[in-house]
Amino acid sequence: MLKINNLNAKIQEKIILSGFNLEIKPGEVHAIMGPNGSGKSTLSNILSGKKGYEVSGEILYENNNLFDLETEERAHRGIFLAFQYPLEIPGVNTNIFLKTSLNSIRKAKGEKELDALEFLKLVKEKAKELKFDEEKLNRQLNVGFSGGEKKKNEILQMSILDPKLSILDETDSGLDIDALKIVADGVNALRKKNNSFLIITHYQRLLDYIKPDFVHVLMGGKIIKSGGAELALELEKKGYENFN
Amino acid sequence: MEQKLKTDFDKFISNSNFSNQEIKLKKEALDNFLKNGFPSRKLENWKFSDINQIIQKNIGELAFYNNYNIENGINDDIFIKEIEHNKIVIVNGKVERFSFEHEESDKVNLTTLDNINQNLNDYNSLLSLNNSFSNKIHNILVKKNYSFKKPLIIYQITNEEVSKTNINFQLNFELEENSSIKIINLSDDNSEKNFINNLFNFNLDKNAILKNYKIDKKNNTNIKYDYSSITQKENSISETFIFSSGSDYIKNEVSCNLEGQYSSAFINGIHFLSKNKHHEIRTNTKHLYENTKSYQLIKSVIDDSSKSVYQGKIYVDSKAQKTDGYQLSKAVLLNEQAEFNSKPELEIYADDVKCSHGSASGSLDEDSIFYLMSRGLDQKTAKELLINGFLLDVVEKITDEEIKKLLKDMIGLN
Repeated sequence: MLKINNLNAKIQEKIILSGFNLEIKPGEVHAIMGPNGSGKSTLSNILSGKKGYEVSGEILYENNNLFDLETEERAHRGIFLAFQYPLEIPGVNTNIFLKTSLNSIRKAKGEKELDALEFLKLVKEKAKELKFDEEKLNRQLNVGFSGGEKKKNEILQMSILDPKLSILDETDSGLDIDALKIVADGVNALRKKNNSFLIITHYQRLLDYIKPDFVHVLMGGKIIKSGGAELALELEKKGYENFN
Repeated sequence: MEQKLKTDFDKFISNSNFSNQEIKLKKEALDNFLKNGFPSRKLENWKFSDINQIIQKNIGELAFYNNYNIENGINDDIFIKEIEHNKIVIVNGKVERFSFEHEESDKVNLTTLDNINQNLNDYNSLLSLNNSFSNKIHNILVKKNYSFKKPLIIYQITNEEVSKTNINFQLNFELEENSSIKIINLSDDNSEKNFINNLFNFNLDKNAILKNYKIDKKNNTNIKYDYSSITQKENSISETFIFSSGSDYIKNEVSCNLEGQYSSAFINGIHFLSKNKHHEIRTNTKHLYENTKSYQLIKSVIDDSSKSVYQGKIYVDSKAQKTDGYQLSKAVLLNEQAEFNSKPELEIYADDVKCSHGSASGSLDEDSIFYLMSRGLDQKTAKELLINGFLLDVVEKITDEEIKKLLKDMIGLN
């Protein structure tokens, strides 16, 4: 599904990723762990099409060159990034935003757009699953939401848009245990044969709830070690500094 | 220009039936205008919008004669269907129709003023020009304790018959004690390259409420000056909303004199500009008595090489203790050529007051655009959604729900 070959990324002459390789197959859950500044967020930004990076190398998504696709086209083809810091958008109603988003993607896929009633039914159902206060959906997008509510809102969007490749950028940070469980349940509910996940995190904690198939350690802009779920536990014990 | 003004004035007077007293006052007004000419950037209030130069550049030589004896046809298709309303229809500066069909006839008095209106909050030479060339001035008096049942829509139309002409228009409102009215002033320009000079005067007695919504949406090449003078007695409320977008140039001036305690004035405005437009909102709020309140929120979205100007003045008299004055202007510039000028002015002579002002401008937030696009919205839709969100809170300030909905649909915000 996703194949990254020798990815290098610079921002203002500063090298962030260098010789990064990763392959994710349909249905797999990969976790990338790494210390601050190791390039985790850069990776998720580049995958979802944020401008401002100087990149070389190759990223293939479903055998297409990802760099040929605009940000919104990537979303249309099933890439979803749950933001580390979801943005507050004043004046934009959350429901209207969600509906516009879902229908943009459905339209691009050649599917019928949902009308207001169909949409509300879907959104209600998903909000209930995630124990997300429905009343908040009538408010401005993320404005006045707590840190946890913002993260939950990301997962709500993910479950409504039903992406093929979900990238979770430190979704666990700022969540209490209860919220963490709800978010994990939301992710697990989306785990299907063809849906893949890339989970970026500092801590092993989230991986107690979402069992990864692979764990990679990112340091100095590249993956220095890969393994199974047990690698996360080892990392937690040793710490990043003593890991090599 | 001087010769043209004089001959057009003589022609205008000989084709009208003003009283000798009126003619005398009109002549004086003309002399005043001849002495001062069009305002230019040399005057502080006009430094961002030199109307003298703008007229010369965009129109060239203006004609001042306007034949008010012509009967202009009105196409009923232009009337708003969504809400029941009363009407005043003005074509090329002439009132063609009054219809207060939803109101009790003995509660609304319609007269013409004998004297030209001298009792305004400020003066500039365009008011003299207006006084000298405007037709009979109508006065709408709303009687004590009467509230208009339906809004009044003032259709201000220009048609193809006029071009490169100066059109002057005045309207006067007297709101007696405890009365109220809701007005939508809707521009419908089908003419090009005229200079339109409007003057609205409102006198609000105790407890009176004025809600005035001004909409300029249709694209046209006219140049406009629109002056609202609002005088407020005890406990009265004025709410002014301006949507300024369609004409090539507009300067909207709103001048509120808060003369009675607990009177309050709210001014909210939107500039939505593209191509090469130049719009200004200038406010002059005078707190002249204790416990008065004013609130202003102006937002601009400026594209291409358009220019938006906000000059907001709050004056607090020495006896206006406990004044509460607030103003905020914000602009989003969508293009490197776009320009925003903001000049807050606070002149305070009392010591127990609460006054604040703020101004901010910038481009649309790139991270927000990226966030929306990462959810499948194309760039255009993402930007439109952000602009919509930016402007929405100004529209939300409209206190009349029915009119708010109408204007949201009309402007295209939701």
